[in-house]
Amino acid sequence: MSADTAGPETLGSLSDEPQQQDPNSQQAKEIAGKSPMRIALGRLAKDKIAVVCALVVLFFIICAVFAGPICALFGVDLVTPLASERVDGLNKGLPKPEMGPPNGPFTWDHPMGVAPRTGEDNLAYWLYGCRVSLLIATTATIFASIVGVVIGLLAGFLGGTVDKVLSFFIDMFLTIPFLLAALTMAPIINDRFNTADNYSTIQKVALVIVLSIFGWMGTARLIRGEVITLREREFVQAARVMGMPTSRILFKELLPNLAAPIIISVSLMLPTFVALEAGLAFLGIGVTDGISWGQTILKATNLTFFREYPQYLWQPLLGIVALVLSLNLLGDAVRDALDPKTRR
Amino acid sequence: MFAYVVKRLISGVLVLTLVSMGIFLLFWFGPSSPAQPICDRETSNRCTQEKLAVYEKTLGYNNPVYEEYGKFVKGVFVGRTLTIASNEYPCAAPCLGVSFRTKQPVKEELVSRIPATFSVAIGGAFLYLLFGIPIGVAAARRRGTVADKALVSSFLFISSIPYYLFALLTWLYLTITFEVPLFSDTGYFAITEYGPFKWFSGLFLAWVALGIFGCTQYTRFTRGAMVEALSEDYIRTAKAKGLPSRTIVYRHGLRAALVPVVTIFGIDFGTLLAGTIFTERIFEIQGIGWWSLEAVQGRDLPVVMATALFSAVVLIISNLLVDVIYSVLDPRVRLS
Repeated sequence: MSADTAGPETLGSLSDEPQQQDPNSQQAKEIAGKSPMRIALGRLAKDKIAVVCALVVLFFIICAVFAGPICALFGVDLVTPLASERVDGLNKGLPKPEMGPPNGPFTWDHPMGVAPRTGEDNLAYWLYGCRVSLLIATTATIFASIVGVVIGLLAGFLGGTVDKVLSFFIDMFLTIPFLLAALTMAPIINDRFNTADNYSTIQKVALVIVLSIFGWMGTARLIRGEVITLREREFVQAARVMGMPTSRILFKELLPNLAAPIIISVSLMLPTFVALEAGLAFLGIGVTDGISWGQTILKATNLTFFREYPQYLWQPLLGIVALVLSLNLLGDAVRDALDPKTRR
Repeated sequence: MFAYVVKRLISGVLVLTLVSMGIFLLFWFGPSSPAQPICDRETSNRCTQEKLAVYEKTLGYNNPVYEEYGKFVKGVFVGRTLTIASNEYPCAAPCLGVSFRTKQPVKEELVSRIPATFSVAIGGAFLYLLFGIPIGVAAARRRGTVADKALVSSFLFISSIPYYLFALLTWLYLTITFEVPLFSDTGYFAITEYGPFKWFSGLFLAWVALGIFGCTQYTRFTRGAMVEALSEDYIRTAKAKGLPSRTIVYRHGLRAALVPVVTIFGIDFGTLLAGTIFTERIFEIQGIGWWSLEAVQGRDLPVVMATALFSAVVLIISNLLVDVIYSVLDPRVRLS
């Protein structure tokens, strides 16, 4: 992926060698018609790491979307009939031998075993945990991006006092560490809603709100910087001269040109939010009475369970690591593909 | 220079005021009743409406919010006496309230937790700078070679794993499974009480985890800054003059490259000082982060509020310092 291999299909005819081919050939016509996004996609498709990561991410998305049918396929369920049927209370609450590891052989009834003490099926919890993780991360990314883009657009385009005030707020929010904000919100949400029937839904909504409130600043900064340079370009001035209203200039003229920075900030946000969601659940301040990978990890770090049954810890842990890692690497590849200057 | 510092100071104070107001309002309007946790605690979960009203009245929750915020700010500067039900609790300046659980002034416990958090932060930061910067410089000098590429991609890989999982696995496997002697008892042991060795061995694993993880990021920053610095014209001039390569890299290149790294370090270090929640939770270090988690679980609202305020203050001050130091290092900043 060095500059030498950045052939004609990546940057048009910027290479030093004179074009040998007939300019009217099939290939030349194709080159002429490529948009920056298509060039980026072409680069991505050639990046082996990006393709592998995209497949891994796709796998997790399928798991999340089809959690129900996959559970039905394996005949497992979130509902545990009776914990004592599955776990051995006399043996530290570990699963009975016929339930699979750690004391018995693999069984198709519970492909990933059952949880100690509660006897919950690990596969079902893993799949639905994946759904919670992706759902929260995606929703929060969407909201945070919208807030960030709008504030960045306004600050960059309007300039002057508006820019100063908005930049002040961006800087102010940047000084508040996210983890602390979530920690501060947790007891308040608990106090207000812990008796409500839909407490776990409220917790998830609150988590999305906290993630969005403390996640938009990076996008806003990026967009603001980009808008400041775009604002002086001819097409914007032309639109102004034609008497286009500001809102139309912002959303019809500027926004389409901001696709690359928006994609970049989304690619940074998604893995962060997946990791944070699980991290907060691990600390006991995110999703606390629902299904979440972080919560399973918290349960599995009970030292007795960890010594006897480390697989119970590794299942959600590998889920988080694989998802975050592939999202991060994919994001990196996307950033490289979108930036015409990168040479790795 | 002076004008710049004054300008930054004013904006720092403004941010601090806004953040403290935000936190105060959050704890005022957020819970269904701010007195509910203490009422539940004092009456062993048999809090009736009448009892709740008594707690609300004595804690001042019936007064307008601005009045109570004023009292709170006054307490921070001159101290105050808090009344909970029929008992009075003196609280010397700077008063951050009285813990619902221990009935002690929050400030005293906060001060007693600071050494643990600071020990973790200083040791971890020292390790990641010690390894991060030299490795970054070495990678930048060998830019494009196989070693550089291997280093960059393996570090990218490590830093893509969530930190808390990395720390958790380090602790579980080194301390619990393999029982490595040096790491066998993690936690904070005051150097004055237990001696330096116990202090060191208790914190060492936390430092290593923070150090390895932070080092991957600092290597990347340093490498990026060095690559840029080494492609400057003055480096070419230095080479043309025939200076030894060590002088070129360290005296001319590194000096310029370190400025952005120092900035990032300042902000990171502030975040570490403000509470290393995951590190403290995993390695069982009873610092500020641990304490605030405990307070969240015990619904000890004054403590949660105090830790939030403390962290905000630490972060704002460290950001301020970074800006001032940066303006000293790089005069262009002052002009813009």
